[in-house]
Amino acid sequence: MTVNNFKKILVPLDGSRYSEKALKRACDFVDAFNSEIILIYVVEKSIPINLLDRKEYLGMLRKFGTKILDKSKTTLSKKGISAKIFLKEGNIANEIEKVAKKEKCDLIIVGNKGLGSVTRLLLGSVSNKISQSSSCSVLIVK
Amino acid sequence: MAIKTKKILVPLDGSKNSIRGLDMAIHLARQSQGTVTALSVKTVPGIYAIHPLGFLDFNSMTEVKKLLADAKLRAAKKGIQLIGKAIAGDPGYDIARFANNSKNGIDLVVIGARGRGSTKEIFLGSVSNYVLHKSKKPVLVVK
Repeated sequence: MTVNNFKKILVPLDGSRYSEKALKRACDFVDAFNSEIILIYVVEKSIPINLLDRKEYLGMLRKFGTKILDKSKTTLSKKGISAKIFLKEGNIANEIEKVAKKEKCDLIIVGNKGLGSVTRLLLGSVSNKISQSSSCSVLIVK
Repeated sequence: MAIKTKKILVPLDGSKNSIRGLDMAIHLARQSQGTVTALSVKTVPGIYAIHPLGFLDFNSMTEVKKLLADAKLRAAKKGIQLIGKAIAGDPGYDIARFANNSKNGIDLVVIGARGRGSTKEIFLGSVSNYVLHKSKKPVLVVK
């Protein structure tokens, strides 16, 4: 067996119920493999918003992000799991990849859809991008 | 507590990546005391379905059988029960259909990021991508 131990698991969150599902699945992995969990929320910066509202809007997103991260952290700590949390800004998929590389994660667990405006029948855009281009294994929770 | 993935589907095509996927599946199955189902699809172009001579090509079916036997041996060494299935058809479509079929009760699909598609991209293989999109079960992409 080569690199099959999941030491570090990255779970990107966006507040949707799919990401909650992903988090739940990550808990199972922690129970089974004693792995570390890293939570990340990315504030999307590349969306076009008009200049005046931009600051306020980003501030709202940041607040939302920290809220979600804290909430997830408390649910994890109830199960006796400690987690690292990150709040990043920029393009979602790129940032997730960067963190995965920097922290040397072995597995990324994502929900199949997020908060994208169109509830697609198929894979969400971010999940798709991650699964295409990430360097580590990806588990898509459906 | 173990993971609730009792039945793991591993599509095999004989490539290095699919073997890695198999190793991962075995690893997971050991944690959950589950079983592994290996699925090997022999590519049959649609036209052969109506062409009578299409079925004369028995050669590659033995290749598929050999692949499954190898996989079985590999799993048995680790003490995991492996069920081999060989079917002929379009790989992406049949894998997704097999995974979605509730009769099979698959909990997780473990798939290699690339198979033996001719273009050596660094990105996802076409079959993996298809399965990723079409399967209603969780998919683990092994890189």
